[in-house]
Amino acid sequence: MQELRTPRQEFIDGSREIAPVLVGTIPFGFVVGVAAVAAGMTPFEGIALSVLSFSGIAQLIAAQLIAVDSPVLVTIAAAAVVSLRFLMYSAALSPHLAHLDTRWRMLLSYVMTDQSFAFSVRRFSEPGDIRNRHWHFLGGALTLYFSWQAAVIFGVVAGAQVPARWSLDFAVVLCFIALLVPAVKTRADLAAAIVAAAIALAFAGLPYRLALVVASLFGIGAGMAMELAHEKGAGRR
Amino acid sequence: MSTWLVIFGVAFVTFSLRASFIVFADPHRFPHAFRQALGFVSPSVLAAIVAPGLLAPAGMLALGLDNPRWIAGLVAIGFAIVFRTPFAAILSGMAALWALQWGLPLL
Repeated sequence: MQELRTPRQEFIDGSREIAPVLVGTIPFGFVVGVAAVAAGMTPFEGIALSVLSFSGIAQLIAAQLIAVDSPVLVTIAAAAVVSLRFLMYSAALSPHLAHLDTRWRMLLSYVMTDQSFAFSVRRFSEPGDIRNRHWHFLGGALTLYFSWQAAVIFGVVAGAQVPARWSLDFAVVLCFIALLVPAVKTRADLAAAIVAAAIALAFAGLPYRLALVVASLFGIGAGMAMELAHEKGAGRR
Repeated sequence: MSTWLVIFGVAFVTFSLRASFIVFADPHRFPHAFRQALGFVSPSVLAAIVAPGLLAPAGMLALGLDNPRWIAGLVAIGFAIVFRTPFAAILSGMAALWALQWGLPLL
């Protein structure tokens, strides 16, 4: 049985374990900062969005939709849809955090990301006394938080200096490509992506970028239909 | 003004979803269908953003060679598939776009 580690030890372990991830998140934060100003946000607005929401994908979606003057509600709805994965993380983490007071749980919710979720769940599920392990979570999450904000601020400042003819707004689309390619793992994923892309193009003329919402729903439907057909086929055999 | 509404709205939804079970609710099992649907959120939403960004950057379909973005996008997708790192897509795509928009007119 592992001995109980002090909060300090847990915190340091948590931030040390997450360090390799920064190789990816720091440049990503830089691009997200550039994207915010390329979309027409002021540097202060870009930094505020980052500090308050601390989610690269939500920040990119907001930048992309602000750039095309989408209505506020459509933009917020799109950010909510891409953030639905946090529901699953939240459900998975909650049993490990149930012993903490509300302030701790609010703080850890605020700084939770894909990466700190993954690392903290691994630590929580190791055998032994879990009493101080939220410090491990906090160490990793805060390391990510401050390096992320620094990278975004750097990107916001640098992006504001770059002239429009460099087409840096295209970096936003490229970020989404970088996220899309690894997200397509199965045939059903591919079907979802193709249907969503086709519908988005067919309705590209729709006002308010409503096409994004409609296309996403059709894509999700196509993926589920494909999976259902696959399950039925497998059942018959 | 509306930018600030977006900022606070996005902050609100991201925090609420993160805090949902940790702070507010008892976790209970998600229905299977909901879990399944969540799995398709990423490919669908991302594709729905990428496709118009490449093929209809100004709101109308632009499939011709005078729109360098879809060509640069294809290059980026190719690099992302081969090299499996986010920067492959971003660097190759920007390089391709610059080559097309600045290099081609020089030829």
